[in-house]
Amino acid sequence: MNNRDISSKSTRRDCSLYIHIPFCVRKCRYCAFYSIPASVEIQRQYVSAVKRELAMTAYKQSFDTIFLGGGSPTAMTESLLLELAMWAGAKIKSGNEFTIEVNPGQTNAELFKKLKTTGVNRISIGAQSFNDKELEFLGRIHNVADIVRCVEDARKAGFENISIDLIFAIPGQTTTDWKHSLDEAVRLAPPHISAYSLTYEGDTPLVRALAAGQIEIIDEETDAVMYESAMDTLETAGLVQYEISNFAKAGFECRHNLRYWLNKSYIGLGPAAAGCYDGKRTENVADVQRWLEAIDAGRFAYETQQSLSAEDIACETAVLNLRTRFGIEPVAFERQTGYDIQKLFAAPVMRHLNAGLLEWHEGRLRLTRAALPIADKVLCDFAAI
Amino acid sequence: MSTEHIRNFSIVAHIDHGKSTLADRLLERTGATDPRNRKDQMLDDMDLERERGITIKASAVTMNYDYHGTNYMLNLIDTPGHVDFHYEVSRSLAACEGALLVVDASQGVEAQTVANAYLAVESGCEILGVINKIDLPSAQPAVAAEEMEHVLGIKQGECLCISAKTGIGINELLEAIVQKLPPPEDKADQPTAALIFDSVVDDYRGVICYVRLFAGTLSLKQKIRFMGTGRNYTISDIGKMCPKMVSVDKLSSGEVGYVVANIHELEDVRIGDTITDAANPAAEPLPGYKAPMQMVFSDFYPGAMTDYPKLRTAFERLSMNDASFTYVPQNSQALGFGFRCGFLGLLHMEIVQERLERENDIDVVQTAPTVSYEILLSDGTIKRIDSPSELPDRSVIAEIREPFVKLEIITAGDTLGGIMKLAEERRCKLVKTEYLSPTRVMLEYRAPLAEIVYDFYDLLKSISHGYATMDYEFIGFEPGDLVKIDILVNKIPVEALSLIVHRSNAEQRGRKMILRLRKAIPKHQFEIPLQVAIGGKIIARETIKSYRKDVLAKLYGGDVTRKMKLLKKQKAGKKRMKSIGQVNIPQEAFMSILDNSDD
Repeated sequence: MNNRDISSKSTRRDCSLYIHIPFCVRKCRYCAFYSIPASVEIQRQYVSAVKRELAMTAYKQSFDTIFLGGGSPTAMTESLLLELAMWAGAKIKSGNEFTIEVNPGQTNAELFKKLKTTGVNRISIGAQSFNDKELEFLGRIHNVADIVRCVEDARKAGFENISIDLIFAIPGQTTTDWKHSLDEAVRLAPPHISAYSLTYEGDTPLVRALAAGQIEIIDEETDAVMYESAMDTLETAGLVQYEISNFAKAGFECRHNLRYWLNKSYIGLGPAAAGCYDGKRTENVADVQRWLEAIDAGRFAYETQQSLSAEDIACETAVLNLRTRFGIEPVAFERQTGYDIQKLFAAPVMRHLNAGLLEWHEGRLRLTRAALPIADKVLCDFAAI
Repeated sequence: MSTEHIRNFSIVAHIDHGKSTLADRLLERTGATDPRNRKDQMLDDMDLERERGITIKASAVTMNYDYHGTNYMLNLIDTPGHVDFHYEVSRSLAACEGALLVVDASQGVEAQTVANAYLAVESGCEILGVINKIDLPSAQPAVAAEEMEHVLGIKQGECLCISAKTGIGINELLEAIVQKLPPPEDKADQPTAALIFDSVVDDYRGVICYVRLFAGTLSLKQKIRFMGTGRNYTISDIGKMCPKMVSVDKLSSGEVGYVVANIHELEDVRIGDTITDAANPAAEPLPGYKAPMQMVFSDFYPGAMTDYPKLRTAFERLSMNDASFTYVPQNSQALGFGFRCGFLGLLHMEIVQERLERENDIDVVQTAPTVSYEILLSDGTIKRIDSPSELPDRSVIAEIREPFVKLEIITAGDTLGGIMKLAEERRCKLVKTEYLSPTRVMLEYRAPLAEIVYDFYDLLKSISHGYATMDYEFIGFEPGDLVKIDILVNKIPVEALSLIVHRSNAEQRGRKMILRLRKAIPKHQFEIPLQVAIGGKIIARETIKSYRKDVLAKLYGGDVTRKMKLLKKQKAGKKRMKSIGQVNIPQEAFMSILDNSDD
């Protein structure tokens, strides 16, 4: 079938940009992302290398969405962060979403005013909890008061599209504690909230503490109750669940992330940044020095490169689509991957429909509400043919 | 050589009391081996034996000893020294006139010392008491001697004190062997009768039979007959183990040696059979041996199903060197293809498992050991079963009988309470208590073997801080209040998990199984009841709750590759599951339930 390479062709027409800012003043206990504390000199080299890295790609058009993530973008020296944001802001399609992640312990009213001038139009705040003890446990550098101030400052600077990240199933957390965080977040009325169950991954202090028996993982039942509590509370507050962990008022869904879940192409810049472009997934080396050296030498700094087969693309697209409440639209799926979803995954589709874990909703195949907490039991059947 | 100048003897001892070291020293002192290229413990063939300090296969060695100017031929017939190998010990003893009973001067008389001494007496052997390791700072030879007199009736003054390690007392011991052990009877003029007490397979020469001549002679090119199998062969090589094989022209009445006769298969040679002259046969075969009885059974499954042919080959090879081990193919619904193996006892089983893994590089999963049962049917017939799945329908069973053993435990007085409590919990009936010394006690029990094979030995060691020793001997089948328990997963009985247990233990054992199952079976979308049943009546129940949460919190651009891998792995995991009553049970989990090692 020669329409199976449509996805790679389509990447030339639309593309997002992700810039990984690998700096943090201190690592959080749970965080497996790559970041280091860094000198101003390194940051300076980093910013010019990011620019150079983009110039090395074949992509010369404007981007559909841009996301500055980390690490902590706000851990950078202000002038360099603004320089980077300004540079990126010039590359976005007019009026499109340009997000920056901020640490509420590193922002002030001035910074937001300046960011506003760069073209940034969406602020994602790493709030995580509205309980100071939990913030301390997680190794965050800010407190609850900082979060409140951060939201106010962003609003005052004219930012409307604000998102708050929250974490639940923190060791020691009760369902009441979690409800408190949810309620406090809702009280600040951001149009977007992400709620993540705490993930134990990589070689993090949290994983080590767990292995050493110093902390106890929240039991599955409580985790499920907390998740359901998030779904109920946020729904009631008018934030519609549009993905496993994401809730938004209509029109405030994160476009950048939606493009990930639609399996659209994006370019990743910076150490450890991932990209998906031209039917290939790449991941940069998670080391600032090695990344700098490569870029300086005019080479890409890929740690891994994976060429995707038509089947890989179909599986990824199915899994990613199913994470969202929009699910899989069969016609779009076939146009993108060249496969008929109902033929390619006939058996699991049938089985999970029968088990009440999948449903057809307005012509789209999606997870039922009951399936959301156990989504991977369904998704794994779409991960491979 | 006149039989007057021959001595045939074995060394019997509790494990680690120095039997093999003593054998080495005797070989060295008589010049059979050169101390300069000494490899400790000459008689132990296999690595495993050396490592565990256990001699599994009996073998023999001939030494020439100059006793005051006269040459004596000393034939040492080695014996295994452990709890399961009564059969092999008695078969070695049958080829001897004497036995050296070795006791560690610091440990004193142990359970197997007693058992071995009884075996030697039953075989009509003259016993020479030897107290070894007198060089140790903790040695108490006087206490050991007192115990030997008290328990075994060996006069204190007649015990020899030696150190096999340093060589103290070895000369005196050699003299005592000549002076105190009787020579074999001289029956050289009678028709040939040679007892086969062991056999091994040599890759080049076929089967090598170890023999003891009780009458007549055997010589090169002689036509011989195996009286049990009725087969005739021609001797192609004959000789002695010195300890290397040394060919001779002839072996005479009273002597010990080897015979090679172009025999290819180990099955063609029956241990205990009598070799006679084909033309001039003996009237009667020598009294043979009772076939060894497999009392302990366990299933072995390859860790990976593709290893099944490897496992079969491995068992074939193992059984060539160990006739007392049996294996039959099994096909379990839950576990796939494997083998049900029979062993003389627990240690025997462990050794086989270790040899399997060591010599074959196969990952083996072994089920908890069970015993053999005798079933009296309503029509009066008796059926022997080796697996709960062979149990006939309840309606035709008149009685289930289980194997009982005479269990001897020797321990320190201060651990007596704990051990007696353990024994009582395991349905053991105390027969007698005997103080060997003010601080050491010997307990004799009538014990159900099923209770001993499970985890008794480990508990015994743990209660006594490693001090207690035990030995057991099969005495017969006895009826008991035995029931078959079934394990039901989602209301479906799982055959492979059925057990025969005493009614008093049924609930406890069953509950243990379902608790393990609860851990091993992943959660499903629905609740899964796990039940223990006796004949349809549920006696215990556990529940596996339905799963509640399983979802990756984040899946963004940078996570796709890694998280797709996780999901693929999750999908692959589903494939390896067996489906029983809508419940998917991972094969690995199933095995972990049955595996007795993680108790």
